[in-house]
Amino acid sequence: MSYYDIDSILTDGQKLPCTFELEVPGLGILEGNPGDKINAGTRIDLPLWLGEMLSIGARLGTSRLVTLDIPSALSERVMNALKADPRTVDLRALAPHFYSMSERVLELFEEEEMVDVLSNTFKKRAAAIADHAHNPKGALGDGVEFLRGLDETERQLFRVAHDSAKETRIWAGEAKKK
Amino acid sequence: MDIDDILASVDRNDASSPESAALDHQLLTRFWVAERGVSELLPWPGALMARITDRVRKQIETIEDLAASSADPHPPTNNPTLNLKLSILQTDLARTQYLIRSVLRQRLSKLTSHSMHYLLRIAPADPSQPTTQQPEDSIPDLASVTDPSPLSSQELAFLHAHQSLLAGHYGASFLSSFPPQLRRLDDNAGGTSMVQGPDAREVVFVRCLVDEVRVVVPPGDGVEVETFGTSMRIGDVWVVRWEGIRGAWERGDVEVL
Amino acid sequence: MAFPLPRGITPPEISFLAEMEMVTILPRQRLEGLELLSGPAEPLLPPRRTTLPLWLALLLKRQRRANILPPSWLHPESLSLILDIETQHHEYQHAFSPPPPLPGQPSLRDRGKRPVATPRYTPDGGRYFPAPPFLPQNVTQDHIAAGEPPSLPFHWLEVGTMLLDAASDDLVDPDQTRRLLKELREVRTAKIRSGVDVLDAAASGGGGVALTGVGAMEIGEGRGFISGVVDGLRKIGASKEQARREQMAEDMANGGYDATQDDEDDMEF
Repeated sequence: MSYYDIDSILTDGQKLPCTFELEVPGLGILEGNPGDKINAGTRIDLPLWLGEMLSIGARLGTSRLVTLDIPSALSERVMNALKADPRTVDLRALAPHFYSMSERVLELFEEEEMVDVLSNTFKKRAAAIADHAHNPKGALGDGVEFLRGLDETERQLFRVAHDSAKETRIWAGEAKKK
Repeated sequence: MDIDDILASVDRNDASSPESAALDHQLLTRFWVAERGVSELLPWPGALMARITDRVRKQIETIEDLAASSADPHPPTNNPTLNLKLSILQTDLARTQYLIRSVLRQRLSKLTSHSMHYLLRIAPADPSQPTTQQPEDSIPDLASVTDPSPLSSQELAFLHAHQSLLAGHYGASFLSSFPPQLRRLDDNAGGTSMVQGPDAREVVFVRCLVDEVRVVVPPGDGVEVETFGTSMRIGDVWVVRWEGIRGAWERGDVEVL
Repeated sequence: MAFPLPRGITPPEISFLAEMEMVTILPRQRLEGLELLSGPAEPLLPPRRTTLPLWLALLLKRQRRANILPPSWLHPESLSLILDIETQHHEYQHAFSPPPPLPGQPSLRDRGKRPVATPRYTPDGGRYFPAPPFLPQNVTQDHIAAGEPPSLPFHWLEVGTMLLDAASDDLVDPDQTRRLLKELREVRTAKIRSGVDVLDAAASGGGGVALTGVGAMEIGEGRGFISGVVDGLRKIGASKEQARREQMAEDMANGGYDATQDDEDDMEF
């Protein structure tokens, strides 16, 4: 987590399924019942920062307030889809900060296979991003849909690849400075 | 040091020779490329910069003298190459000035984006918490600093003044309305430090200049010693983590591209 | 303080750097030697050849005060040979053709010989090994060692492009040269892009990916993307790397760690 980085702050707000292990008075506000208690066994989605904080007890092995679960954006179903064809999955629809969130989740859960699937996904999609970024005419055909489904990290990658390709073309006299 | 090193070091050029100007120019150029390519601020090459700025000053005098003689109609100059000479000298000067200016601007940009990190690196914060909490209190006292490295002393003065102005501005604009314990700029509450430094794990492009360089993994994550990774050979170009070859760069065994 | 440029030198700056390469010229007028900030410039005494930095050669060329003798690698014949190496040789299917050796580095024919890099010393006592643009990789050579294949210098694209722009009348066959440079650029760009698959090797501590033979402008074009992919992979793999390091710390504490077996996989493009 980086203090001044807006993407890092936004990632902090991405939701994670949490299950309350104890009854907590006064926390009903999280379920939309202000003033009420929250029951043990209640399952709600909480932002990363809050879920992480409430689960600290669980990780220390003392009294656990909530237990965390893997968010739906990283579910088995999504992993299978990514294994089948990483390029056809709309990551942005799953989570705008898909990879940043994954990094945070992977700090909380030991999921070595997920690391491999995500690394491979990132590489395969990066290769496609490079192809689109080097096309001076911009995205065409199904490229439009692929680019629309990029998460924030990938968008930045596309931007940097596109900008440096353009800078080089300008230097070579093949493109005009805007 | 082996015998070759000793022999090579005794025939070092003296600083006023034209050959040493060429060598310094190469060193400045290499430093410029590295400063532009690495995430963190590199150690200020004080002696090199002093020699170069001194040469620049003398070259400007030479150019002014030449220009004056070409403008002087009495006696009429019959040197047809004077203008050519002037344009060459001026181009050479402008190119050198570009290098110096780009180095300085890049360094200021690194300093101001991680100002607290560099201030605290040079002068650790006073652990005794003062009773009044103002944003300015986060800025360490530099009175006892003797070595400003990796900054130059001018850069340290700039950074201190910059951060004091910034802290004063934050205080006057909004921080003074916060509770006193929330006014600092080096806060660590919630496990997220406000003091952000450059990321030494970002990769750089390097060329290996000696027989072999091994990429290192600095101590961390419970491993207490430096360990070694892959090997680079002379002439190789690699993409590696900066922290993995920082030592080799300091020894002059690799160059940043 | 606003500094508008991204990390790493940009195409115009790379071009500026390439202008420091030494080239051979044939002066058409006399000029006394000059003491420049970038080092001494030899006197011009036609018809004697001399070597000058490219920026100065181009300045003289534009004023018709000199002709530039193109470096031998820029000859269409050499470029065709290099293009062959880049496209036909199995060994370089995913790698760049080998660059000119550094001083002290055994050439390709002498592979297996020990390198003997000898440093110069800076006035401050540091060691200095010269590298491009401060090696004579673009000057004309009187004789080329037999059996030595031509190779692309680090600043090939910049020097080639600038000479085509400003001194095409000094080149043997400018049109074919231009065509060959373009082909080389396309072949090599494709290699960079298909290399994404091995970039994980640079994402873990102690690892790296070799790009030996890459040109300066090619680094400039690929830098942001390659760094972005490697940094992305590093962050995704951070938890795994940390677990591996902790395991290693444990092994070390138990005396079961062997430092010689720590070689990371290294990959070639």
